[in-house]
Amino acid sequence: MTRRTNPWRSDGVSRWNAPVRTSSRERTSVTLGTMLACCAVLVSSCGTETVPAEDSTAVEAPRGVELPPIEVREGDGLPASLPADLVWETNEEDPVFASSEALRGGTFRTWMLAFPLTLRRVGPDSNGAFAGYLRYNQLGPVTYHPNTRRPIPSLATHWAYGADRRSIYYRLNPRARWSDGVPVTADDFVFAVQFMRSKHIVAPWYNNYYTDRIRDVKRYDDHTIGIQGADPKPLNEMHYSYGIGPQPRHFHVLDQDWVKRTNWEIEPNTGPYQISEVRKGKYIDLSRKADWWGDEVKYYQHRFNPDKVRVRVIRDANIAFQHFRKGELDTLGLVLPHFWHEKATGGPFDAGYIVKYWFYNDLPVPSAGMYLNSADPILADRRVRLGLAHAMDFDRVIETVLRGDYERLPTFQLGFGAYDNREIEPREFDIDKANEYFAAAGFDKRGGDGIRERDGQRLSLRVTYGNPQHTERLVVLKEEAKKAGVSLELQLLDSSASFKQMQEKKHQVAWMTWNSQGLSPRYWEHFHSENANRPQTNNLANHADPVMDEQIMAYRASADFDERVALAHRLEQMVHDAGVVIPTFQVPYTRDGAWRWVKLPEWLGTRTSGTLFNSQANSAGIFSAGGLFWIDPEEKRRTLEAKDEGRPFEPATVVNTTYQTH
Amino acid sequence: MSRGEHAGRDFQGSTHPPKGGTPTLNPLTVKQLQRFRSIRRGYYSALILAVALVLSFGAELLVNSRALVVHYEGAIFFPTYGDVIPGRTFGLEYDYETNYRELKRLFAERDEGNWVLMPPVPYDALENDLSPGIYPPEPPSFARSHYLGTDSTGRDVLARLVYGFRLAFGFAAILLACNYFIGITLGCAMGFWGGAFDLLFQRLIEILNNVPFLYVIMIVASIVVQSFWTLLAVMVIFGWTQMTWYMRTSTYKEKSREYVLAARAMGASSPRMVASHILPNTISVIVTFIPFSIAGAITTLTALDYLGFGLPPPTPSWGELLQQGTNHLESPWIVTSVVVAMVLVLLMVTYVGEAIREAFDPKKFTYYE
Repeated sequence: MTRRTNPWRSDGVSRWNAPVRTSSRERTSVTLGTMLACCAVLVSSCGTETVPAEDSTAVEAPRGVELPPIEVREGDGLPASLPADLVWETNEEDPVFASSEALRGGTFRTWMLAFPLTLRRVGPDSNGAFAGYLRYNQLGPVTYHPNTRRPIPSLATHWAYGADRRSIYYRLNPRARWSDGVPVTADDFVFAVQFMRSKHIVAPWYNNYYTDRIRDVKRYDDHTIGIQGADPKPLNEMHYSYGIGPQPRHFHVLDQDWVKRTNWEIEPNTGPYQISEVRKGKYIDLSRKADWWGDEVKYYQHRFNPDKVRVRVIRDANIAFQHFRKGELDTLGLVLPHFWHEKATGGPFDAGYIVKYWFYNDLPVPSAGMYLNSADPILADRRVRLGLAHAMDFDRVIETVLRGDYERLPTFQLGFGAYDNREIEPREFDIDKANEYFAAAGFDKRGGDGIRERDGQRLSLRVTYGNPQHTERLVVLKEEAKKAGVSLELQLLDSSASFKQMQEKKHQVAWMTWNSQGLSPRYWEHFHSENANRPQTNNLANHADPVMDEQIMAYRASADFDERVALAHRLEQMVHDAGVVIPTFQVPYTRDGAWRWVKLPEWLGTRTSGTLFNSQANSAGIFSAGGLFWIDPEEKRRTLEAKDEGRPFEPATVVNTTYQTH
Repeated sequence: MSRGEHAGRDFQGSTHPPKGGTPTLNPLTVKQLQRFRSIRRGYYSALILAVALVLSFGAELLVNSRALVVHYEGAIFFPTYGDVIPGRTFGLEYDYETNYRELKRLFAERDEGNWVLMPPVPYDALENDLSPGIYPPEPPSFARSHYLGTDSTGRDVLARLVYGFRLAFGFAAILLACNYFIGITLGCAMGFWGGAFDLLFQRLIEILNNVPFLYVIMIVASIVVQSFWTLLAVMVIFGWTQMTWYMRTSTYKEKSREYVLAARAMGASSPRMVASHILPNTISVIVTFIPFSIAGAITTLTALDYLGFGLPPPTPSWGELLQQGTNHLESPWIVTSVVVAMVLVLLMVTYVGEAIREAFDPKKFTYYE
């Protein structure tokens, strides 16, 4: 789970540099996931290298540099030869979700907030706004179907699970090619682990993941690999946790200059697009590969239609909107209420040149909340935490500032299907209840300014946050909270500084959003006592409860779906009862605007489409939902003519509730 | 050299009243004041600004959500200043601060002889006037007493302008005092002593001037929450240098005049020479800079707030309003209000500055020889 930094959820376009874990504000689209993908998800990335000593098929070190063999710990290690009892699976029976009416061609014009600091996918400064375009063009062995959430082929055609429930085997598609024409082979996967473990890439998070979580990788023949992870997992989650992607072994030379040398190098990739032009500070063009190997893979057909994607740097969302209005951008995310309701009206909207889409989706919901530091002397008292929850008037914020567009988030984690605990009701704004709790905790007198006191200590709490766009929500909460006699001090910091403060556990109340992804919720990192009262962990509440620890460990260890679901429900209830998190808002949909000529399939998008106009492969990190739209040149000509002549069409706002969950 | 300048210096040379006499205004000062008054644009600007400033100090009486007077069952309350009066005091059902607008409506409805007198603008700068179904920002409305509309969280724009004005001016005044105190002291010392001291501080100032101020502010803002005082401190650290250059030059110039030599010959100490003789003669330099420094400080504060590196929310500030205004161009009342207010204030401050400069300029009559 990761934290996302950009409030602006358009086509993955806009993300600021963020630490590996970044905070999210709203539920975002595809893009987001993108960046996350790199963090917690390993569906894509990595390459081959010198072969481990025990492997009989040692491969030459790339470009003459000797790489260490894969070190395998005691008790780990894949069998030397492919187990005979493997059951190879594939998935060709799920329905396709792209439209066969799609037309290839045209240029899709989109934007990002800042020019990337590097074109590398790992290493310093690689987590910027553009990272999604790079990562999603590096495919993993399998990906997930955006409607059924089942694994579907990508670089691999077949997969099999090891008896130890932590090993996974892949058969690679022999047609798969790097963008420079070199075939993708098992060696690229072995290299990936060596690459990610290398100190030269200056990427501690990857170093750690590929050492601690990925325990072994083995080449069985050119197109067969095995990967072993640290812990048993439910079968369908293994691809997500252990299904590493390849790295182009023939391209990388791992030495001390690697970071510097590869800053602006264009790395060979396996996805549909490759960078074709870089104009520093201005734009980056990606071109569609004419003879992409993936065009023959069932679930990639009729997708990734524009011949070119131009990603322009526009440093301000409001300015991007003006470009969009003028027709210089083809689409724009319109999730924010004042964009949808106020800006996106009149002119080309009323004339029907731009179509507005409101599409409900069903994705893991980012955990937006107020994380209460239970190590703080005031917040250590559960009654104060519950009082605070009852003193927060979220409904008023939703009804006014957010124009009724957002919804209250009932639980810490949501959007994982059966794992969701739908029994829990969020604590409502109720001054009487708040008063009772505060009084019970000893805050029974009010000072001259109306704020409660206990032995001279004011009931004043510092709320740390990093998104200036959220100020308007917080000022409303602050004013309403005064009625219950609690004072909120708003501490707006720069987004990385605020996250740093939270990671160092110096906050009282952390207002932030963990981005959610994957197939099931996570509790260990947020609530296990091992992560409490220690800096640089995600247990922002410093919550430590032995009973909960036990349940968390049981949840982690279990590979049985039903048992995990039951445990997840219980854990969510425990989080609610402890009151250490006050969940805030959710946005169960995406809203986009698009010029008439940008066409979508009849069904618009998929269950897990984070945005409708994502030009790249994935959404929410793992679901292969992108690249469904196309550009219709005939419609473009007609629209531009009509615009020149001032002839309007019917205004169009399309609302789709196919995947609305409640 | 013009005669006027000579004359000016001679007059200025005797700024203090003779010992034992009653202090009267020095004739030159009187003349400067007269000249200032004769420059109408500057004079009226100064008057208007002064009135606005005085009014803003009593802003709580004019723009406030607390009532001026409440008459309730024979007792009279003045809630404006002082502690929160809970709603229960006036027979309402709650313990938090009374909503006086609501109270006024209620009293009027019940007609029991109780009444509430609200200020002309019945909102304060922090309060969100939100009702379900009405989406902020709201356009200006006399009926709802939002004379300039509301901002994106339903706060009254006029209230935020007024309190923001007071804050900006207060900030500018304190900043000015600190900057000038340090700048004048060090500048005089540098000019008077010269030598190694001068050299050392020149280099120090050059170093400080080369530190990018905006970056420092950004770094500080990312580490701590800016408060009025931290922001002031940072701005003083980088702002005092400007004045030193002017004071250093003036002191250098004045130091070599005969009257300073005369004072020295009579045994005056260094501090006395600087404080009593040189400083009064450089006063015109100082005074003419003041309005421009004020304008500069207001602009800087606004710019920082606009960029989000200024005072923490929800402090009322012009920069924050400007930022909201540019984000909500479809609600033009926000940006219009703050831009008009800023242009007016800065224009008036500049007019005052020009008038002062002219009034203090000894070269009213210049004869070329």
